Amino acid sequence: MKTILKTFIIPAIAIALFSCNDDKETEPIVVLEATLVADLAAPNDVIDRATGQVIETRPFQYFSLEQNQIVSESDDWDLAFKGTTVRVNSGKGASAAIVTGIFDQIIEIPASATFAQDTESEFAIPTGGGNGWYNYNSSTNTITPIPGRVVLVKTSAGNYTKIEILSYYKGNPPVASIDPFTTPSAHYTFRYILQPDGTQKF
Amino acid sequence: MFRMNLIKILLLAAFVLGGMSLYAEQPIRILDKTGEPISYALVQIGNKKPIPVNAEGEIDLSTILAEDQVLIFALGYETKVLSGKECHNQNQIILEEKESSLEEVVVSATRTDRSIADLPMPVTVLSQEKIQQTGGIRLSEVLREQTGLQISSDHGAGLQMQGLDSEYILILLDGEPLIGRTAGTFNLDRISVSNIERIEILRGPSSAIYGSEAMAGVINIITKSGSQPKTANLGFRSRTFNSWNPFVELGIQQKDWQVDVLYDYFQTDGFDLTPDVVGQTQNPYQGQTAQMKVRGQLSDKFELSLFGRGYIESARAEMEVNSSSPESSQIVTENSLRDWNFNPTLRFKPNENWLFSLRGMSSWYATLADSRYKSSGENFDFQDFNQFYHRTELQTDYQANEKNLFTLGLGQITETVEATRYKGKNRFDAGYLFLQHQWNPSKKVNVVSGLRADLHSEYGGRISPKISAQYKFSKAFSAQASIGSGFKAPDFRQLLLNFNNAAAGYYVFGSLLAEEGIANLQSQGLISQVLIRPESLGALKAETSWAINGGFRWNPDPRLKIQVNAFRNQIENLIETAPIARLTSGQNVFSYFNIQSVITQGVEVDLGYTFRENIRFNAGYAFLDTRDLDALDQIDGGQVFKRNEQNITSLVTRSDYGGLFNRSRHSGNLKISYQEYLTGINFSLRGIYRGRFGFGDLNGNLILDDESEYAKGWMSMNFTASKQFDNGIFLEVGGTNLLNTSTPNQPNNPGRMLFAGIQVPLFNK
Repeated sequence: MKTILKTFIIPAIAIALFSCNDDKETEPIVVLEATLVADLAAPNDVIDRATGQVIETRPFQYFSLEQNQIVSESDDWDLAFKGTTVRVNSGKGASAAIVTGIFDQIIEIPASATFAQDTESEFAIPTGGGNGWYNYNSSTNTITPIPGRVVLVKTSAGNYTKIEILSYYKGNPPVASIDPFTTPSAHYTFRYILQPDGTQKF
Repeated sequence: MFRMNLIKILLLAAFVLGGMSLYAEQPIRILDKTGEPISYALVQIGNKKPIPVNAEGEIDLSTILAEDQVLIFALGYETKVLSGKECHNQNQIILEEKESSLEEVVVSATRTDRSIADLPMPVTVLSQEKIQQTGGIRLSEVLREQTGLQISSDHGAGLQMQGLDSEYILILLDGEPLIGRTAGTFNLDRISVSNIERIEILRGPSSAIYGSEAMAGVINIITKSGSQPKTANLGFRSRTFNSWNPFVELGIQQKDWQVDVLYDYFQTDGFDLTPDVVGQTQNPYQGQTAQMKVRGQLSDKFELSLFGRGYIESARAEMEVNSSSPESSQIVTENSLRDWNFNPTLRFKPNENWLFSLRGMSSWYATLADSRYKSSGENFDFQDFNQFYHRTELQTDYQANEKNLFTLGLGQITETVEATRYKGKNRFDAGYLFLQHQWNPSKKVNVVSGLRADLHSEYGGRISPKISAQYKFSKAFSAQASIGSGFKAPDFRQLLLNFNNAAAGYYVFGSLLAEEGIANLQSQGLISQVLIRPESLGALKAETSWAINGGFRWNPDPRLKIQVNAFRNQIENLIETAPIARLTSGQNVFSYFNIQSVITQGVEVDLGYTFRENIRFNAGYAFLDTRDLDALDQIDGGQVFKRNEQNITSLVTRSDYGGLFNRSRHSGNLKISYQEYLTGINFSLRGIYRGRFGFGDLNGNLILDDESEYAKGWMSMNFTASKQFDNGIFLEVGGTNLLNTSTPNQPNNPGRMLFAGIQVPLFNK
């Protein structure tokens, strides 16, 4: 009974939300275009299989959402990528939250989103399969972004951004064609919308 | 209504096809012992086509010659051979009733000999004839043709029964459990079918007598025992992919002693469904089985039997890994497996009412995988696994009176394991007790109730009850129902794993090691945050289930048999991994938890119709519905989304949800067997259908919810032709998956395979 109720309520709320939205749209708004970043390569450290020792440390790839490009660590970067780990630039005041929902339908920062900064012990975007942005499929050994997970970032410049990570493999291949042993991984493809006016609306 | 019409139609068809040749004058009547005519009897004169009798069981044999040989047979009756002269001298022939197949004895269901007709739970028995018809060489090839059973490919050929995986199915060899599982899967390809006499398939939980693992059901493999003073059989089978299987069976019987020996060799080159990727889908391997059974009567009250078996397998695998240089990307793995069993049993039967069985059972199971770089031969990875299992059991059966049979079992288990991935040598101890009462209050009713208590050194105690009842409405119709509890103890991996995936940088600890493992990593300064305090985890509990099974057996006509069983398994406390701590590297430490709940339910129908003595139809259908309750909760909570190839994300609803992966909602089979009288060749044509099933997640949410995640349903057409010559030589030829249906998502289907085989009895006297 409870579940039936829920399945009806969710679309009902969604419809209500949309209709509210339509009524309000009287003032002209600037339509924000999503920016697509393809194959941002952020290889992980090289680890000796047998001992687990790091043989070669690889650098994080620092990315500025404002400039839509890879920058150096000393610049005003927002996110840093290495392997499956994504850091936010807490030193410059950037923070992040993870919410569940459909990218296009997140039209403003929800009240429930709790922005956090990276600390010594914890990352704002948690690592590990199922915790943060990805799922680890143990039967196929593949890493796939969790659909419906949207990363919200407050950039070091103070602007809100919503990000959807689309792929962890080079060329954004269909999941069926990923071979975990041979398809180059740690190649991020994601899209994002940055609201430059400082408001929480997209 | 239905029944009458069906019979009429089929009878009519039988007459038309059989070619009627009835004469009014001086017919001979074919009768059963009670004097009733057998309306479906057949009469064969010499090598001519068999002729059916008429509805009154009559046939005219006045035209036959005195020296003709006349064969009279009917389903369910012993065949009679007469000379033409003998036929002229009588006006009626009485056929003796054959011991009905319903009298077939099943051991595994109650651990006492019991005929199928008296069992209140769903049981199927595969006779040697049915096993032979499949043309199978390994056990998986026989079981995959049975209604409601599937073979999945996950660390070996694992059985799926009532929608549950291999780890929840107990495999018995002559009544004693077989050990040795990889990631829960018992690889059925380890078992050769060359000397299997019959296979008992018991569905529904049987933990009430067998304890752990018997949650979905039990498979009991019964090996042959020669019944002649001297037996020697040579066999040789060959098939596609350079597979061949020579075997030899020897048996000696003297006075009160019987010795049976088997040696079986199997080798295959394997096959490859993905030639563009390094490494085969099935690696080449060779397996050797040696088995010896000794059984003897020590006195008229004591019987001793010794069972010994050894299995050795070796396989070679190649794979490619990500590497900076092509020379260091090719890896070769040499795998070996050793499995030894020794089971002595002493039976003491002081009188008709008491039977004591003292059984010892010891098994050693070891695997080894040595991986090296192909170019340099340097070590890449090395894994070994050594398991020892010993069980001592005393079973007492007491036939209190005609209506009550009591069974009491007491047992002790010692298990040790040593492996690369486990720390040190680990030992578990367990004790158990089971009680069973078989009660036949009247001719129409029988009830089997049982209760087993298990006490284990690592996961505590467990009580498993079960009650089954049967009501025989008539000789032709009986209904069965049972309710029972099953469980599966946490395995070594879940308790003891001490695994560091060095390359990916994560750790997995078995529940017993989590506390120590976390403390160790903490002292090395590797832990950034403990998510769940390991000491608060508590002991890992056994996975448990409640199940109901209900159905009926109906023989509306002696030639038609219908068996139906519906089931529902509700499984709690399924064990899964989840992170318990975060490492400074950003990776996680995992351990095992009781978290998941799953339901599997469905119905299985088997129908057998003997059209004529030499033509049989069998049809089977299985409906299966499975669901992960936690996944459903998340879907209901609006937490699950999917994304398509155009990157459009949408909410997953209940109607998208397809249940557990690798489960076919519909499956079935259609089998026709035909014996050609003139040549004596047996033909068997089977169509085995497996409906579409989810093969894996493709949209990142890890659940089955999208069309693209289903593998198409497929039909395997299998055919066997065999002939047993008068001198005992047996020949067979045939093929499986004759339509060569390719299924990339079913790695255990290599496509069309052809086979041929011969068996030669050297002497059987």
